[in-house]
Amino acid sequence: MRPANFDSYWDNVDAELEAFPARPVLEELPMRSNEHCTVYALRLTSIGPYRIFGYLSVPRGAGPFPALLQTPRYGSVNHIPDYNDRLRYVCLQIMHRGQRLADQPYSASYPGLLTDGIVDQDGYIYRGIVADCMRAAEYLLGRDDVDQERVAIQGDDLALITAARRTGFALVNASGLMFYRLAEARLETSSYPAEEINEFCRAFPDNQDDAEETLALFDPQYHVGGLQSPVLLAIGGDRDWFQPLLDQLGDNCQIYELTHRGGTDHDNIDRLIAERLETPPMSRFIRTLSH
Amino acid sequence: MSQTRLPADQYQVTVQRPEDFDAFWSDIRDQLSTIPLDPRMELDELRSTDEVEVYDIRYMSLDGVEIAGWYCRPREHFIASPYPALLLVPGYISEPTLPKSWAKLGYAAIGVAPRGKLRSNGQFNPGYPGLLTQNITDRNTYSYRGFYADAVRAVDFAQSRPEVDQKRIGVHGSSQGGALTVVVAALRSDVVTCGAAGAPYLTGFMDAAKLTHSNPYEEINDYLRMHPDHLDAVTETVSYFDCINFAPLIACPMLVYIGLEDDVCPPETGYALVESMKNCQVDLHAHEHCAHDAGAYWEMEQVEALLAWHLKPAGSGRADMTVG
Repeated sequence: MRPANFDSYWDNVDAELEAFPARPVLEELPMRSNEHCTVYALRLTSIGPYRIFGYLSVPRGAGPFPALLQTPRYGSVNHIPDYNDRLRYVCLQIMHRGQRLADQPYSASYPGLLTDGIVDQDGYIYRGIVADCMRAAEYLLGRDDVDQERVAIQGDDLALITAARRTGFALVNASGLMFYRLAEARLETSSYPAEEINEFCRAFPDNQDDAEETLALFDPQYHVGGLQSPVLLAIGGDRDWFQPLLDQLGDNCQIYELTHRGGTDHDNIDRLIAERLETPPMSRFIRTLSH
Repeated sequence: MSQTRLPADQYQVTVQRPEDFDAFWSDIRDQLSTIPLDPRMELDELRSTDEVEVYDIRYMSLDGVEIAGWYCRPREHFIASPYPALLLVPGYISEPTLPKSWAKLGYAAIGVAPRGKLRSNGQFNPGYPGLLTQNITDRNTYSYRGFYADAVRAVDFAQSRPEVDQKRIGVHGSSQGGALTVVVAALRSDVVTCGAAGAPYLTGFMDAAKLTHSNPYEEINDYLRMHPDHLDAVTETVSYFDCINFAPLIACPMLVYIGLEDDVCPPETGYALVESMKNCQVDLHAHEHCAHDAGAYWEMEQVEALLAWHLKPAGSGRADMTVG
């Protein structure tokens, strides 16, 4: 159920974020740059205040360019944006608080991040993490070399939530949702990271209701009702499971059913994003070798 | 000039085996043997269940670096010991496995966190990107020297446990975990019973860097762009760490699975690896249209079956999907 305090909770996050200037600092990374693009270390201030990190890659030549924001995965490391993406887009891969390169003073534990502060809605770590992603979106969408009509966001729940709360994305590509119906999903699995919730509830049964109320604040189905950007949702399982989310997304959503063959899935999703951003599709698997 | 990529099994890798390859690793094993393992275990009650005990473990490895890991074993009332041991070795950016699901199947399962991984990065922390190229011009200080040793050392940890049947020790992982599977099976061929390696990384390093622009091999391309004069030194160093050169040392049954459209670990290197496994029984499963997933969606059942056949765990069910 959508929490009664949902709107006020997120309004407070927005207000808090607005109170901290981003103060972006870019530092060129010659080691990661090449003849096609310049890669920078980007540092931004998010709520807390907390200084977060991103890899920003800008194609060489005259912009504006289409752009791609990649939200962080659940894990301590995010790669530098993929080579093919860097050829076509201004790319920003953000590291949220706690991940490597943004792990001072807070270093996330795996497992552990998903339940860090979960009984206190205002202290829950993901409140700050969502703010980190929104800060990244504001930064990317505000760059002069970015074509404002051709910006996509890619990731898990964080991509959906960010796009729902920061308008301007031409496409949202979401997959691997973690928070979606998590209080139910965790009962059907012992796999991490959902298992973290199971462990918490076993250890602290008196706090289970509080934890589940917190998780509901991050369930993308409650965020996307007003989402204006089209969504490309990649799913690999039971479509009925996603119906509540699909109902909220309405006609705004295209479903891509994963084949579980990574080459095929990557190429198909890449093509759909490229079509939307008016760039050529590219396969990561090189079929023609240059000498 | 450009040409259409040939089928992966027709590619010839350029890997050379150094004459002193075996001596180099024999020396490292000798060094390891002088370092007390000093194994420690602390029960993690939060992560434990009625069926499985979870421990945060520590042990000492090369250069006096303390290594962390997870150790999961069935509770005695759930499945009685002795247990086969299973090492789960991690991918490049993935977190070390907390192998509770494997313990539920009846394994004494160790999720290894070699140096640089979270909880093992207090004394060594090259970062990501960074691990692949740290000191890559010098085999004696190259990052993977200690990293490999840490994975091998986990076998010693398994052997230190009285509830482990010493005749049943397996190893499994994908991507970098696939590479570590090969390395552990090779350097501990005296005790490793079987191995399953998905999308093996650190295999044909220099060929792979030419066949892809994907991370992490792109770190080598980045490095050589900055230091083109280091090419010979880099090529020499990585030859001491190439799984193709470890492969002939493996004596136990192996399963290798790859994706024929793997942009991260080119399938050409997977074929070359299997071709080098001349002294063991090896099954290669090559999956059309799969990338770095290496067909894991289907392959996990094969992995579980191979490990179960050779290691004979007493439990039943399914393990979590292995990611690289």
